[in-house]
Amino acid sequence: MIRNIAILTWNDLAIACQNKTLYLILFIPLFVFVVLQLVEGSEPDIQKINIGLLEQGNYRPEMIQSLKSAEQVFAISWLPNEAAGQRWLRERHGDGILVPKGTTAEDCTLIVLEKASLQTVAIVESVTGLQRALEGRSRDWIVEILPLQESGLQRQMLPTWILMLVLVVGFIVLPAQVAEEKEKKLLLGLLQTPIREVEWLLAKVSFGIISIVIAALFLHLLTSFDFSLGGGLSYLAFLIAGGFCFSAFGIFVGFLCRTQASARTLGVLFYLPLLLPSALADYSKTLDGVAPFLPSYQFYRPIKSILLEGGDVADYPLELFALLGVGLITSLLSYQLMKRRWLM
Amino acid sequence: MTLDIHQLSKVYKEERGLQATSFKVSKGELIAVVGHNGAGKSTLLKLLGGWLVPDDGDVRIDGIDLHNRRAIVREIGFVPETPNLFDFFSVEYNLTLFARLFKIPSSRVVDTLMDFSLFPYRRNKVQMLSKGLKQRVSIGRALLANPSLLLFDEPTSGLDFEMTQEIHLLLKRIHLSGKTILFSSHRPEEIKSLATRIMVMHQGAIVFDGSPDEYFESHIHQNLYA
Repeated sequence: MIRNIAILTWNDLAIACQNKTLYLILFIPLFVFVVLQLVEGSEPDIQKINIGLLEQGNYRPEMIQSLKSAEQVFAISWLPNEAAGQRWLRERHGDGILVPKGTTAEDCTLIVLEKASLQTVAIVESVTGLQRALEGRSRDWIVEILPLQESGLQRQMLPTWILMLVLVVGFIVLPAQVAEEKEKKLLLGLLQTPIREVEWLLAKVSFGIISIVIAALFLHLLTSFDFSLGGGLSYLAFLIAGGFCFSAFGIFVGFLCRTQASARTLGVLFYLPLLLPSALADYSKTLDGVAPFLPSYQFYRPIKSILLEGGDVADYPLELFALLGVGLITSLLSYQLMKRRWLM
Repeated sequence: MTLDIHQLSKVYKEERGLQATSFKVSKGELIAVVGHNGAGKSTLLKLLGGWLVPDDGDVRIDGIDLHNRRAIVREIGFVPETPNLFDFFSVEYNLTLFARLFKIPSSRVVDTLMDFSLFPYRRNKVQMLSKGLKQRVSIGRALLANPSLLLFDEPTSGLDFEMTQEIHLLLKRIHLSGKTILFSSHRPEEIKSLATRIMVMHQGAIVFDGSPDEYFESHIHQNLYA
């Protein structure tokens, strides 16, 4: 059985090389890497610092006055509370928030998206300049800088790109490949040999998982991402579980179509609704409410936690079972359609 | 080898297909299945080749049930009208892939390449071959596991005269080697020169089953090609 699966998986990889699908799988990480290099390398245009202040904040009146008077440098936005302010910052409406530290009006905490960024330097320099011009004291108004993100954009975007890779293989590559094998009667040809239907299915799923792992590794090689051993294993476990889930789902989508053209269309119809709500859930309350019902979010959330917050596979057992469950159900459906020679 | 078909049926939504059909085939027969388009010839061959799942009926080849797919594929070789080969791979790769899945030694691939005069083309991609050569590869692949029964769905469809003659010679050679063959055809001259038994299908049912002499003397032949 394993021998047949290996032969068929190798055949699928050879097909992917021949019809350039493998280039697509490798092109996406390369493209992502190049774009992120450009994004990371570009200097943001800071002409005016958009600073957020809390409406109920106990600020020193002199500080407010000096910020207001420096209107060439600062634009002030009044925010209802700190949580709203953090959302405002994450949605990139502003550059930083000044929050009074404790009960005294003396000191402030500066909340920024990233600590090591041009915006943060500009805010600290400008606020310090104002404070020294007004009071001439060596003690700064900003006594603490609190970043919302611990790392750069490349790192922050990585879970989204990984989700995109997994969904591209699952809903763009595999449905078209399955439909092509049906359309050209190649699958029927293979079923004229002593292979079991389940062997063909496992080979296709293996091809999907291998493609996803290769693409993810390629992306990590390009971005020089560091892993701890535990984090790496947890990440691999979810890559394999996600690969299994979305490969099986994609194969099922392929089985619902008679031609490659219809498989591509149906694949995109699944791809976008699974990608966007999950990837954008952090930025919208509505999407945050909808996304947990999607299998893609059950992959995205743990991957994000493992990659960015030091999470572990043990923290997400339900998500792991959900992915394996969806994979198993869609595999069973594909098996039934295959047995009936559905649309072949 | 005996093929025993009992009440085999497959009906599509358009009410076309195969009505409950029964017949037997003995070793060494070369049977032509003839009839108009939509008469049920291809449905019958595809059911026997495992391309379609029957609605009802029982098919046994040397006692092996058609539902026992993994055993039956070693007994039946099916050559479809359009060769279903991996186009972007070489002739040799196509044969080797199937040989591996059948667990047949690779020497058999070389023998097949030689037997079917495909050795010079072994490294050519299938998509670069003519239809006649593709058909030869397809036949060679069907014979890899040395099945006792071969099914050909319109084997010379779309081929020129020369290639048609070549395929006829191949069929005769395969038949002489002791194989039992069922093939569908529209061509009276092909049926006349090859078949040892003729079955005529009409609206999913077998309406004639007899020798070529009986067939060509009957009104069925005259009506079919009138």
